[in-house]
Amino acid sequence: MPPKGQSTFAAALRHRSLYLMFLPVALYFLLFSYYPFFKGILMSFQANRLIGPRPFVGLANYREVIADPDFIRSIFNSLVIGLADMGLYFILSLFLALCLAELTKRSVRRTVQTVSYLPYLFSWSVIAGIWVLVFDQRGIVNTIVGLFGAEPTFFLAEPGMARPLIIGMGAWRSIGYFAVLFVVAINDIDPTLYEAARIDGASRLRQIASVTIPSLRPTMNVVIVLLAMGVLTHFDEMFVMQNAANKTRIGTLLLYIFDMGITKFKAGFATAGATLVMAGTLLLVSLVRKAVKYDEA
Amino acid sequence: MKPDRLPIVLRALVWTTAVVVVLVMGLPMLNVLAVSFSTPASSENPGLVLFPSDFSVEGYSFVWNTIDIWRPFLNTVFVSVMGTIIHALLAALGGYVLSRSDLPCRKALTTFVLLTMMIPNELTLVSIYAVNKQFGLINSYAGLIINGAASGFSVLLMRNYFSCIPSSLSEAARIDGCSETGIFWRIFLPLSKPGLATVATLELIRRWNNIAMTVTLVSDMAKTTLPVVLRWLLFEMSSTSGTAYVYANARMAAVVISAIPLVLLYAFAQRFFVAGALSGSIKG
Repeated sequence: MPPKGQSTFAAALRHRSLYLMFLPVALYFLLFSYYPFFKGILMSFQANRLIGPRPFVGLANYREVIADPDFIRSIFNSLVIGLADMGLYFILSLFLALCLAELTKRSVRRTVQTVSYLPYLFSWSVIAGIWVLVFDQRGIVNTIVGLFGAEPTFFLAEPGMARPLIIGMGAWRSIGYFAVLFVVAINDIDPTLYEAARIDGASRLRQIASVTIPSLRPTMNVVIVLLAMGVLTHFDEMFVMQNAANKTRIGTLLLYIFDMGITKFKAGFATAGATLVMAGTLLLVSLVRKAVKYDEA
Repeated sequence: MKPDRLPIVLRALVWTTAVVVVLVMGLPMLNVLAVSFSTPASSENPGLVLFPSDFSVEGYSFVWNTIDIWRPFLNTVFVSVMGTIIHALLAALGGYVLSRSDLPCRKALTTFVLLTMMIPNELTLVSIYAVNKQFGLINSYAGLIINGAASGFSVLLMRNYFSCIPSSLSEAARIDGCSETGIFWRIFLPLSKPGLATVATLELIRRWNNIAMTVTLVSDMAKTTLPVVLRWLLFEMSSTSGTAYVYANARMAAVVISAIPLVLLYAFAQRFFVAGALSGSIKG
C-alpha cells in the first residue's frame, strides 16, 4: 500500500478537472469576498486615503470614530429601528402565519398569502414610491384620518414621523415573506399530532398552543437569528428615504459608514466604523443564539 | 368530541386579520396603478383612487421619453440578466465540485465557501469600493455584473441539489468514457434545472432591486439602475435639476415600470420562490 500522502496526491491529480471547475468560484471569493474583508480591516488602521500609500496610524481612526457624536447617534438610530423591525417582523409574521393556517378555504388562504408576499418583491425605491403616494397630503391615509375630522398631516415632512414610517415600511414589506417561512413549517407538522390531540379532547385553540407553537420552535429560532444578523445592517431604506431634515432620526450606522467612506472619501475612518459594527453584529448574534439555545437544538 | 373549530371570537379575529392584510397590502398597490394611468391633473386628486377617472398613458410616455427612464431600465435588464447567468453558472460549478464526495480536500473547500457567508456584504462596502477602484471596475457595467457573481448561499444550495442525484449515474458515464466536464455538462446540469431556476430567480430579484452595491460602484447617472433613478425621480429631481414639476401620474408610472417585471416573474415562477424560501431557512 502506498503511503497516505502519496495516495491523496494521486487522487487529487486524478480530479484535476474538478479543481479546475472550482477555480472561477475560488477566484471570485478570494478577490471579491476575502480580499475586501481583510483590506477593510487593514484600512481601518491606516490614514484616510482611498488611493496612494496609506501610512499606519494605529488606533487613531477608532478613537476618532468613537468620539464622533454622529457615530454615537447612528448607533442609537440603528438599535431603535433595527430592534423595532426585528420584533415587529417576528411577531406580525408569526401571527399572520397562524391566521393563514386557520383559513380553511384554500383559495382565500392563497390570495391572502400572495398579496402579503408581493411587497417583498419590490426594491426599497418602489416601496418608497408607494408610501409617498399613500402618505401624501392628499393620499389615502390623510383621507381616512380626515373622516375622523383631523387636519391632513404631511407625514413625510414630519421629523417625528420619520422613524415610525421607516419601521412601518419595513414591516409592510417583510412580514409576508417571513410568514411564508412559518407557513411552510406549519404545513410540515405531522398531522397525526393534531389527531392525537383531538382524541385527547383538545380544542382547536389548545391544539395551536400545544402542537403548532412548540413545533414551530426551530423555525422561530432560525428567523430570530436571521433577523438579529440584520439589526445593524439596515441600509437601503434609509438611503432611499434620507433627506436633510430626517437624517438625524433615521441615519443608521451603515448610512454613516457609506457617507464617510464613499461620499467623503474618509476610508480609514469609515472602515474603522464598519469593523466596530461587524464586531457588534457578531456579539448581538451570539447573544441571540445563546438566548434561544440555537446551537443546542 | 368537540367540534374542531376555533371559538367564534377567534374566528372573527382570523378573518379580520385576513381582510386587513389584503386591504393594507393591496390597496396602496392598486392606488399606485390607478394613479399611473391617470391624466396629470386627475392624478393629483385627493383620496383613495382605485380606478383612473380619466384613463391616460401620459405618465408612462413622459417618464419613458422625457425622463429617459428607458436607459436605466435597459441598464438594469442587462446587468441583472448577465449577472444572473454568471451567478447560476458559478453556483452550479461550485456546487457540483463540492457535491463530489470522492474529492480530496472537499471539507476545506466547503469551509472556504461557508466562511464567505459570515462576511456581511453591506459592511464591506467601503473596502469593496477600494478593491473595485484598484481593478478599474468603478462606473462600469462589468463592475456591477462581477460583484455578486457568486455567493456561498447559491453554491451550497446547488451542492445540496447535486448531492441528491445518485452517484451511480456519474460512475456509469465514466465507464462509458465520459470526461469529468462531460459528466457535469451532459448529465448533472440538465438534471439540476429546478435548482438552477431557484438560484437564478432569487438572484434576478436581488440584482433588479439592488441599491447598496449600485450606489457604491456607480455614480454615473447614464450607467446606473432603475431603483437609483426612481429614488432620484421621487425625491430629488425637482430640487436638483430645476425641471418643471413631475406629476404624480409620471412618478407612479416609474414605480410601476420598476415593479412590474418582478410581479410577472413571480406569477410565472412562484414555486421557485417557495423553494428558495425553504432552503433559506435550512439551518447551518
